[in-house]
Amino acid sequence: MTNILFYVLAIVALLGAAGVVLAKSPMGSVVSLLGTFFALAVIYLLAGFQFLAGAQILVYAGAILVLFLFVIMLLNLGAMGSKFELSFAPLQSTRARIAGCIALALALVGLVAAQRASFAAVPERDASAPAIDSMEGLALELFGRYSLPFQATSLLLLVTMVGVIALAKRQRSGDEPAKGEERP
Amino acid sequence: MQSHESHAWLWWIPLLPLIGSAIAGALHLATLRARKNDPSAAAPGTLAPWIACAAMAAAFGLSVKGFFTLQELAPSARQLASTVHHWISVNYPARGEFAVDLSLLLDPLSSTMTLVVTGVGFLIHVYAAGYMKGDPGYGKFFAYLNLFVFAMLMLVLSSSLLGVFIGWEGVGLCSFLLIGFWYEKGWPAEAAQKAFVMNRVGDACFLIGSFLLVRLFGTLDMATIAGAIGRGPVELEPDVQLQVSLAALFLFGGACGKSAQFPLFTWLPDAMAGPTPVSALIHAATMVTSGIYLIVRLNPLFASSGWVLPVIGVVGALTALIGGSTALVQRDIKKVLAYSTVSQLGYMFLALGTGAWAAAVFHLVTHAFFKALLFLGAGSVIHGMHEEQDMHKMGGLRKYMPQTFVTFLAGSAALSGLPLMSGFFSKDEILAHAFAGGGLYWGLWIVGVLTAALTAYYTWRMVALTFFGEERFDRHHVHPHESPAVMTVPLMVLAVLSVVGGVLGLPPVLHAPHLLAEWLEPVTRDGSRILAERAGEHELSHTLEWILLGLGAAIALAFAHTGFHAHKRGTAQDETLTARRPALAAWLADAWTIDTTYKRVILLPLRLVSFVVAVVVDQFAIDGTVNGIGASARDVAQWTRRSATGSLAGYAMWMGAGAVVISLVWMWS
Amino acid sequence: MNVPSEHLLYLSAGLFALGLLGFLVRRNVIVVLMCVELMLNAANLAFLAASRQHSTAEHPALQGPVFAIFVITVAAAEAAVGLALVIALYRLKQSAETDAAAEMKG
Repeated sequence: MTNILFYVLAIVALLGAAGVVLAKSPMGSVVSLLGTFFALAVIYLLAGFQFLAGAQILVYAGAILVLFLFVIMLLNLGAMGSKFELSFAPLQSTRARIAGCIALALALVGLVAAQRASFAAVPERDASAPAIDSMEGLALELFGRYSLPFQATSLLLLVTMVGVIALAKRQRSGDEPAKGEERP
Repeated sequence: MQSHESHAWLWWIPLLPLIGSAIAGALHLATLRARKNDPSAAAPGTLAPWIACAAMAAAFGLSVKGFFTLQELAPSARQLASTVHHWISVNYPARGEFAVDLSLLLDPLSSTMTLVVTGVGFLIHVYAAGYMKGDPGYGKFFAYLNLFVFAMLMLVLSSSLLGVFIGWEGVGLCSFLLIGFWYEKGWPAEAAQKAFVMNRVGDACFLIGSFLLVRLFGTLDMATIAGAIGRGPVELEPDVQLQVSLAALFLFGGACGKSAQFPLFTWLPDAMAGPTPVSALIHAATMVTSGIYLIVRLNPLFASSGWVLPVIGVVGALTALIGGSTALVQRDIKKVLAYSTVSQLGYMFLALGTGAWAAAVFHLVTHAFFKALLFLGAGSVIHGMHEEQDMHKMGGLRKYMPQTFVTFLAGSAALSGLPLMSGFFSKDEILAHAFAGGGLYWGLWIVGVLTAALTAYYTWRMVALTFFGEERFDRHHVHPHESPAVMTVPLMVLAVLSVVGGVLGLPPVLHAPHLLAEWLEPVTRDGSRILAERAGEHELSHTLEWILLGLGAAIALAFAHTGFHAHKRGTAQDETLTARRPALAAWLADAWTIDTTYKRVILLPLRLVSFVVAVVVDQFAIDGTVNGIGASARDVAQWTRRSATGSLAGYAMWMGAGAVVISLVWMWS
Repeated sequence: MNVPSEHLLYLSAGLFALGLLGFLVRRNVIVVLMCVELMLNAANLAFLAASRQHSTAEHPALQGPVFAIFVITVAAAEAAVGLALVIALYRLKQSAETDAAAEMKG
């Protein structure tokens, strides 16, 4: 039963991905991406990653996609079409054919590599089974073995914040950035 | 043996001229600046000669004080030393300590040299104050001249070879600066370069010799080296003997460069491009004698060097002959004196080659007197003749410049060795030593006698052409006149010294003491003892000495007479020689074509190699390679820049393609 | 669910290829960034598939989820910076097309 659900969700995710590529307006791409993210979140849940499924929803759907939406609205790019429409125009050029070949080649490589891995069969997992990424286990890993990369991540976020503020600030010509903006 | 009492005042002897030099130089610069602002400002540096002469007089006074201080001491204790600084101190675990001190040593030899340098130097400074008057570089000239005296005094007073080398290079530098003093004319600058480069050859030899001495004795202190050799066994081990000989040979090579000996003498005649006082001071009286000083200072080393002494003698005799014969046909009065200097220096080396240390120093001193006198006299003539140096355009000057004439006669008499003049005794002593040596030295004696005859001839030819005969100058434009007193008084002092200088070293047959030899005895004792033990004493009988003295006097008189009368009437004799024997005359005028040979054998191949290196190797091969690499990098970049389209999708495409390739490689490997 | 882990990897490869295709063919910078997100998600899925394969009940393989968390963090940072760049570009060129920023040629 859950296996069938997985295949259905996989198809949904792939269709969503195709929608991102083919949607005529950026708004359509965002909606397709949202579908893909949700499908992936459920797949994570099925596979036994409860925390990751939650993070997927919260961070991707909740934060990143909203950011995209903000920017689309801000730049007024959503006015191109209110309906969800597909457009195959980007695929009509020579460049697109070469790009297609490259993408196809990479997909084939991935498929062959996965096929060759010849994994052992995994046991049936039901919904009541404990999650692989239990909070306790993840915390032990993040604050234990990976504490240094974890702290580096915080630094990355800080740098990102400063950089984004500096980039997005509307600069008057010949104006130095104000002091307050350099202080996060 | 060495006095432990420090005599720091010794340092004032070289330091005073250095201070004088600094002040004179500063004055010159100040005048230059003043003239820059106001072109009509007063003649430059009129104060400089006073300061320079005062510094020289003070240095001379201190030298005299040093002389008397030494004289009060017992002969074997006549050494005043002063060490102010332990300059270099290196400790080799295997070979012990190597140390060089900054120290001065005043002993009879350096005292003699100091007296000559400061005494004759002072007179020449006074003379130059008159001679250089009105020259735009008046102050600069005295700065250089004083600096030279400082370097020369460092050379003769330093107790270590390193100190000597500092002075050695210093006098070389000042010689370069002063030869090229009138560099605007072009050829003095070239002559200065020639002197400098030729001296480098000798200096390299000097350094190699010093290194060998460090290897042998572990020190550069000359008293220690001389003492070690002097106290050591007379017969050395074969390998030590070889090293001693090589060290002596290389030091002699250094002396050859500085003292203008064959084959490195060709710079000295060209050095006459400098002002005449410079020729007198540096290129006759002092600097060129530093080679003789060096060898006498290290006389035990040279005495034990075996075959090097005959080499020195042969080189000296050959140089004497080349110089003397070349001086016969020169027309430039300063060139005559220059080749004469080369010849007389050859005499001194001939003396050193026979082991007659004191005789060499004796000739050095008398030569300093009479050659300085002759150069200054020639300068006076040139000055009076409006910078004319060609003797064929002089003649009959004795009634125009009587003081110069009389003093010049005294100098000529001394140079040509007329009886009872200073040069007579010093030259005769050298020839007597050569005669007593026997064997090879007999040949050297014959060359010496021949050169003495040439010397008498060319000296009196010069006198006759300059002061006698008809007046060959253009009387409408040239008005010969006597020089001012500031120039003639030094001439007179030097003339007196040239005449009576012989009393310093009267020959033994006169039963008078040889003052100089006795004075130098503490220094030359070891070398003479080693020579005596190795080769045996050579005593000449009194009869033989009388015969030699008489022979010398007769030859000098005869050839002086011949030379004078052959040229008294004018230039006819020179023209006859040129007409009858053009090849010989040209060969002599070119100093046995040694310079031309250098040009052909050394300069031409060097230029060829330089050309090949510069054009073929450097410009073609090296530059070509470097430029080729640069050009090819540019070409490759021109081609590859097309891939940088600026299109984000294009870059991403390449990235994707790269990812495909990498993953394919990764999968199938 | 007991789907073989290969199938998860197939899905991952498909998502990645689609993301790459979009990255290469689309000109709108915002969509290009979305395609990057898509590729990062594909990578996450591959991490988790591997973790799932190597986990037992007693010993969960936690490197996969940990790396997925890092990827999510980096993705968030990347999206923020990328979108700030889009705004800057739009201000400069009045356009959000990649071809608008094609001035840095060799």
